[in-house]
Amino acid sequence: MWKSVVYKEWLKIRWFLIGYTLLGILGIGYLFLTVKHGFAFSGGKNIWNSVLFMGHQFFSPLKYVPLVGGLTIAIAQYFPETVNKRIKLTFHLPMGENKILLMMHTFGAVSLLLSFLIFFGLFAVFSLIFFPVQMVTDSVISIFPWFLAGFSAYFLVALIVLEPAWKFRLFYSLVGGFFLTIYFTSAVTSAYGSANTGLFLVTAFLSIALLFSAHRFRKGEM
Amino acid sequence: MNNVIECNNLTHYYGRKLVYENLNFHVSEGSILGLLGKNGTGKTTTINILNGFLQPRNGECLIFGENTQHLSPQTKARIGFLIEGHIQYSFMNIRQIEKFYSGFYPNWKPAPFWELMSKLNVTPTQKISTMSCGQRSQVALGLILAQDPDLLILDDFSMGLDPGYRRLFIDYLREYAKAENKTIFTTSHIIQDMERLIDDMLILDFNGVLAQTSVNEFMGSFKRFDFVLENDKADLKKASFVVNLDKVKNKIELYTYSSESIVKKYLDDNNITVSNFAQVKMGLEDAFIGLTGKY
Repeated sequence: MWKSVVYKEWLKIRWFLIGYTLLGILGIGYLFLTVKHGFAFSGGKNIWNSVLFMGHQFFSPLKYVPLVGGLTIAIAQYFPETVNKRIKLTFHLPMGENKILLMMHTFGAVSLLLSFLIFFGLFAVFSLIFFPVQMVTDSVISIFPWFLAGFSAYFLVALIVLEPAWKFRLFYSLVGGFFLTIYFTSAVTSAYGSANTGLFLVTAFLSIALLFSAHRFRKGEM
Repeated sequence: MNNVIECNNLTHYYGRKLVYENLNFHVSEGSILGLLGKNGTGKTTTINILNGFLQPRNGECLIFGENTQHLSPQTKARIGFLIEGHIQYSFMNIRQIEKFYSGFYPNWKPAPFWELMSKLNVTPTQKISTMSCGQRSQVALGLILAQDPDLLILDDFSMGLDPGYRRLFIDYLREYAKAENKTIFTTSHIIQDMERLIDDMLILDFNGVLAQTSVNEFMGSFKRFDFVLENDKADLKKASFVVNLDKVKNKIELYTYSSESIVKKYLDDNNITVSNFAQVKMGLEDAFIGLTGKY
């Protein structure tokens, strides 16, 4: 049965996931072309100086890339389930309703994770070409919450899209939008070092939020 | 005979609006029951409760002995469900959707599905979203037949279908149900379709159940008498046998479960003179309108 669940979810998100991942890879490539360009024309010393002492974040163009990914995959995966209340078909399948939802959700999150791991890996590898390990570590600490924001956006959109009542959807959207700003608060490199564990736990907790919307749907809330 | 569906003291409200109170009905194994009623009388509400998508305010429905709010996967596998409008995963093509569903049902029988698909002018890789409503209905029906459920719950199966596809759907379904001893619980807005399909019926009104009986029994006992009143001031509504009365000037359409002799006796006893008295033969749709009224 899990193969069928994976098959359906893959059919829904495949082109979005592939397109997003390719665009992300191109974006990272472009980012480091810019860095290379800076090294060639301004000199490595000046670039290092601006990164170390002037707070320049060469990786800042990546800021909203994971967020866009989370939103894209969640909408691609869950919007088709709500058109004409198609989620009824899913709930009618011979599996526990929560179990099948969590399988769908896990598939989406793992797909997003794979895409993010590619970005993360490319970012780390390319960064090490231009910068020392300490600077790369600080950069990774800085971009980590942005990737968590991508997962949070994915989980929140699932909660919102599956919610049967419009007023609740609006409420969740407002609260969710405000909540996501927490991941983007500080512009100082590695400022999130001490907060990343807490943000990770909060994000992990959000992963099961969609079960509440599903419960309300099955109770017939309108 | 075992009851496949059993609903006891079902009560539901939307906000403060009462849909129905203490509704009781059952569906026997092997029967085809049609749920009839005007818009807003609770047909879709009942379907949603049966499928566990709505929790009633009071009462319960059991399917194969299990409360519909907590159906086990094993019981869900025994129920085929057609959503109003023949909704399916329209982002899939027919090959993909057959592959998807087959993974859930151990007794999956692909032959009926592909037999129906062969009658449609579609390719295996054509997305369901590009198909006509009639073609989508056949996809939905084919999937249910391949699932081979013991109970079929069909919500407004005739919605959006042209007469040809409606006839195809009904004939295929009835033949299948009778040959395989399947139980069907269905709603439809088109009563003529129901007449070809159902054995038993449950008619809902805004106040609850108007009739629960077999179609043959209902059609044999429910009657329409037309006549012209000589004095159009005569009031027939007080007569206990009158179920419904339609009066246009002095022309009367009277609906009743009583016999012609009882109606005539009442008219005689109350000195109501009429002409052109005749019993009018009805189809199920006429009888339904006669029972529930035009408004």
